[in-house]
Amino acid sequence: MLELRLVQGSLLKKVLESIKDLVNDANFDCSSTGFSLQAMDSSHVALVSLLLRSEGFEHYRCDRNLSMGMNLGNMSKMLRCAGNDDIITIKADDGGDTVTFMFESPTQDKIADFEMKLMDIDSEHLGIPDAEYHSIVRMPSNEFSRICKDLSSIGDTVVISVTKEGVKFSTAGDIGTANIVLRQNTTVDKPEDAIVIEMNEPVSLSFALRYMNSFTKATPLSDTVTISLSSELPVVVEYKVAEMGYIRYYLAPKIEEEEDTKT
Amino acid sequence: MGIKGLTKLLADNAPNAMKEQKFESYFGRKIAVDASMSIYQFLIVVGRTGTEMLTNEAGEVTSHLQGMFNRTIRLLEAGIKPVYVFDGKPPELKRQELAKRYSKRADATADLTGAIEAGNKEDIEKYSKRTVKVTKQHNDDCKRLLRLMGVPVVEATSEAEAQCAALCKAGKVYGVASEDMDSLTFGAPKFLRHLMDPSSRKIPVMEFDVAKILEELQLTMDQFIDLCILSGCDYCDSIRGIGGQTALKLIRQHGSIETILENINKERYQIPEEWPYNEARKLFKEPDVLTDEEQLDIKWTSPDEEGIVQFLVNENGFNIDRVTKAVEKIKSAKNKSSQGRLESFFKPVATSSVPAKRKELPESNAKGAASKKTKGGGGRKKK
Repeated sequence: MLELRLVQGSLLKKVLESIKDLVNDANFDCSSTGFSLQAMDSSHVALVSLLLRSEGFEHYRCDRNLSMGMNLGNMSKMLRCAGNDDIITIKADDGGDTVTFMFESPTQDKIADFEMKLMDIDSEHLGIPDAEYHSIVRMPSNEFSRICKDLSSIGDTVVISVTKEGVKFSTAGDIGTANIVLRQNTTVDKPEDAIVIEMNEPVSLSFALRYMNSFTKATPLSDTVTISLSSELPVVVEYKVAEMGYIRYYLAPKIEEEEDTKT
Repeated sequence: MGIKGLTKLLADNAPNAMKEQKFESYFGRKIAVDASMSIYQFLIVVGRTGTEMLTNEAGEVTSHLQGMFNRTIRLLEAGIKPVYVFDGKPPELKRQELAKRYSKRADATADLTGAIEAGNKEDIEKYSKRTVKVTKQHNDDCKRLLRLMGVPVVEATSEAEAQCAALCKAGKVYGVASEDMDSLTFGAPKFLRHLMDPSSRKIPVMEFDVAKILEELQLTMDQFIDLCILSGCDYCDSIRGIGGQTALKLIRQHGSIETILENINKERYQIPEEWPYNEARKLFKEPDVLTDEEQLDIKWTSPDEEGIVQFLVNENGFNIDRVTKAVEKIKSAKNKSSQGRLESFFKPVATSSVPAKRKELPESNAKGAASKKTKGGGGRKKK
């Protein structure tokens, strides 16, 4: 038996909108600690990891660990039927092959039940080791979204470099090149507008902008985004989900292979 | 060709060893492709209706070039790095099998003449497929084209499947793409079917994992090879009356062909005289393959645009616009191939969560349909 009641239902709607473009089908894993998901895109270049901790739910009941395979497109269709102020409850039985989403309006005068068929999804779970990153950048999420969007109109690859001077996003394409440099800035009125750069070691990596752009779909979830970079690891782009969890996107960097060099 | 009924046997007895994968998920992977098999498919499928084939001005067949060119570009565009392996000299034991195929082809040629005279379109279609033969010229054309495209070519000393499997075992490639189930018997750790199928057929790639097959069948590799020989392979006859299912039972019971021979009812099962199963076994276990690092120089290079245009447009009458566009595709695909895969950083782990109830019935139905489909698809190519 599984029953999760989320008062701020709009969070779940936003979560879905931020992963459904990257992944078609995925298993949601429920345990006593929380509601989570890990899934890769079909080309195994990007990974999304979602966690909503049990404390964030008004009511959280999960009798035994359960993995539910869902088509995210269909799930999003159903969640779009929920109002932004609605309370969403997710319900499933052990051994059942459906999941129910219940939407309650804040005034309790409307209750809607949507039942969705579950799928059997065979997916690999990747072990992600905790790592010390060379550089960590925290910045306003809409600023990051804007940069990715702007750069993708020029080129298809972004080079992110962190140095003493700041963080530089650059790209090159047929029509020309673009460089955007952000400097550390903590003297702002609102803490979420700050740009904080923690650099242990300078780092410079290339990434496909197409994926970065799909990560920025999570912008409505959080005012800030944290980008963690290490030269031999995938980048992590993290958005906090209220006080209850996070969405982390991992993206494998572009690499220059020896065998790709001209002979 | 291949091992008789192995696909079905595995679908029934080791369903977890085969997985359907999306074509895109092979992004960034190096894959060894059995070239001879592909060329054969191209000759049958690409631009052929009845006895008409795609030809150049001189009347030479160009279906294989068209197929090889387009299909390889499709792989490259998906970020896959193919290595094509060509057959060398067939092993002695395969002579008999080849002679059989030769005579079948001769029969088909005769039937085809008959069908053309009778004007029976279906029969023309049927028999002309069977008369298709891959010649040395076809192979040489494809090798030349691939080298111009910057795709590595390996010329096996003997069987291409064996060489593919050896590349895979040595970790030079991620998997082996072929339609020939022999690849598993040669011990290719990952074997992919339908990778080279046209995208229009929308058939997912079927990935076989040898380690899992052995685990599920509870056999050792040696026993699996014996099972394949008993089921019927290219190198020797099998025992009449023993198919895959019986063979699996016998191997599980007795452990090897020798013990089976000691124990089975010889009245009921006719064991072929002079049965060279031991030689066949040796061919599977220690095939004649290249292992020398120098000869296996596998490198993907930039395409030679002028060379491709010269070969395809000037010599073989391809449309110049299409060829130049295709070359552009190869070039842009090369940039894309520098994208890394997550698996090179993070390793898969086992999940702890129990899946919500699996839908047993539709699931097994779907599996049955899938295996039927693969069987049908495979059968078409086995002719």
